[in-house]
Amino acid sequence: MEKKKILYVDDDPDQVEQNKLLLESKGYFVLTAFSGKEGWEVYKQNKPDAVVIDLIMEEHDSGFILSYKIKKESYSKKIPVFIVTSAAYLTGFKFGSSTEEEKEWIKCDAILNKPVVLDELVQKLDEFWALHQA
Amino acid sequence: MEKENKPKILIIDDEKGLRLGTKRLLELEGYFVDTAENGTEGIALGTKSEYDLALIDLKMPDKDGIEVLTEISKVYPNTVCFITTAYASYETAIESTKIGAFSYIPKPFLPEELILQLKKGYDKRLLLIETEKWKREREMRLLEVAFEKTRLNTIINSISDGLLVINKRGEAVLYNPSVLKYLQLQTIQLEVYVVDKLHPEIAQLVSKYLDAEKFINASYSVQIELQFTEKIFIEVTSSPVPHPDGTLAGVVLVIKNITELKKIELLKSQFVSMVSHELKAPIAAVYGYLKLLNDNSIQVSEEQKSNFIDRSQNRLDSLLKLVNDLLDISRMETKTIRREIKEIDLQSVVKSIVELFQLEIKNKEIEVIAHYKSCSSINADIDEITRLFTNLISNAIKYNRKNGRINIELSQSGNYNLIEIKDTGIGMKPAEIKKLFHEFFRAKNELTQNICGTGLGLSIVKRIVDSYAGKIEVESEYNVGSVFKVYLPYK
Repeated sequence: MEKKKILYVDDDPDQVEQNKLLLESKGYFVLTAFSGKEGWEVYKQNKPDAVVIDLIMEEHDSGFILSYKIKKESYSKKIPVFIVTSAAYLTGFKFGSSTEEEKEWIKCDAILNKPVVLDELVQKLDEFWALHQA
Repeated sequence: MEKENKPKILIIDDEKGLRLGTKRLLELEGYFVDTAENGTEGIALGTKSEYDLALIDLKMPDKDGIEVLTEISKVYPNTVCFITTAYASYETAIESTKIGAFSYIPKPFLPEELILQLKKGYDKRLLLIETEKWKREREMRLLEVAFEKTRLNTIINSISDGLLVINKRGEAVLYNPSVLKYLQLQTIQLEVYVVDKLHPEIAQLVSKYLDAEKFINASYSVQIELQFTEKIFIEVTSSPVPHPDGTLAGVVLVIKNITELKKIELLKSQFVSMVSHELKAPIAAVYGYLKLLNDNSIQVSEEQKSNFIDRSQNRLDSLLKLVNDLLDISRMETKTIRREIKEIDLQSVVKSIVELFQLEIKNKEIEVIAHYKSCSSINADIDEITRLFTNLISNAIKYNRKNGRINIELSQSGNYNLIEIKDTGIGMKPAEIKKLFHEFFRAKNELTQNICGTGLGLSIVKRIVDSYAGKIEVESEYNVGSVFKVYLPYK
């Protein structure tokens, strides 16, 4: 079986490196990008099997914008796009992707807390793939 | 009778013996006595200064006593006058009292009789003076009250805070023009029920007092967001107005525009959340590396391990710098009063900073060219000026290329000392220049990836420059270099 390709986008190179290693240890192939803009380019060229995006990059909402752009593509309907952030905790501003209203403006399949818990991320990825292949 | 305050009496009589005799008698009784030997002289004396009492002979060769009395009364109505005459008649007695004589004394008079009469007259005189004093005071009071009232109105109408006083029936009794704007009302009618025209939250405040069974001796505040041409925030404070007996007379509302305050509050909470984010990132990175090193299930080479340790160290280094920068900013915000302003020679400050960076300059093989066209000095806090140029010169080194160049130039431009610091570094894109002085902004691109910084250095520079009424300009070309121009006013 071919390795699944995961695109990991974060402006913090250390976060990218660590998560790349962790995901590789779980048997994935990891693509990386360091900004919303670069993430979009890598996504278009490589059509990954999943995308994980940090929320706050060059702008405070770079992650939302990138996930919105990706989710508007027809290809992305069958792949998970997750946003990771610690902003919800910091600002006391709570958001998720569960209500209909949130789904309307936050175009992503899940919002995960930072730092990323590897097992949780892997589990969510598997769940999504299982659901969309059946 | 008191010596200091002797009653003053004027005797007007053409009969010398009587004049002098009476004078002697009254002086013995403790009076201060002046005399006039005819009507003309009597009028002159009696209208020149005020006497308590006057004893006027009715028949004098030049003037009639009645005329003398009339003239004196015109000028000093409170001088108590007596008419004396040997030709006593009922008619003259009537006439003299009619035109204002206190009493009528027939001649010849007995000393005791005269003294008794004068004493009565003097009592009357004191009464008159007292009455007049009260009258005058009352008039003054009324004037003061009227003046106070208009003054108070002018003050109330001039304050920018809104003011509305409501009586216990909920009717408006006093307001100023500012309140109309905040209540979004065209006009307020006095003595008409007004509570139903107020914003529901304000009406609720007022009702709290009006509906209470017992007097509430407390003030309440509520903050309300209003939509005008733009959003504004108001703070409404209500306080009870008591009657002297402690029951409720009404409620006074004071409305303040607190939009600016809210803006500052928002900026502050944004700053705090940015700071927390910036503090959290390096901690998370180091934590991640430690976890990787500790995780046996992940294959990590020796080379990777030492790389992780190096990167962790770098992140902790910059975390430490960040904390120091934050401390600097907070110090700057409280420091203004504790600044030590002295004359500083800019040239020597810049020279010593360049000296301090010799090692970094050598490592990157950068050439530093300094031109000191003028060596003017400024009055400033040496620590702040040193910090200012340390940040700029350290940036010029940090963002420079190997074998690059730094030009430092000191000159004068108008009323300013101009310090230019030019590097041959990575430069910036126009969009990045705009955000350059914002807290935590760092140009993020392929060229800056491996340079650490806190994102606070230039924000500190800007704060210092601003605090000395100076200005800072930046010119930059991506991948070519940047020039920072600092203008600091002459001392």
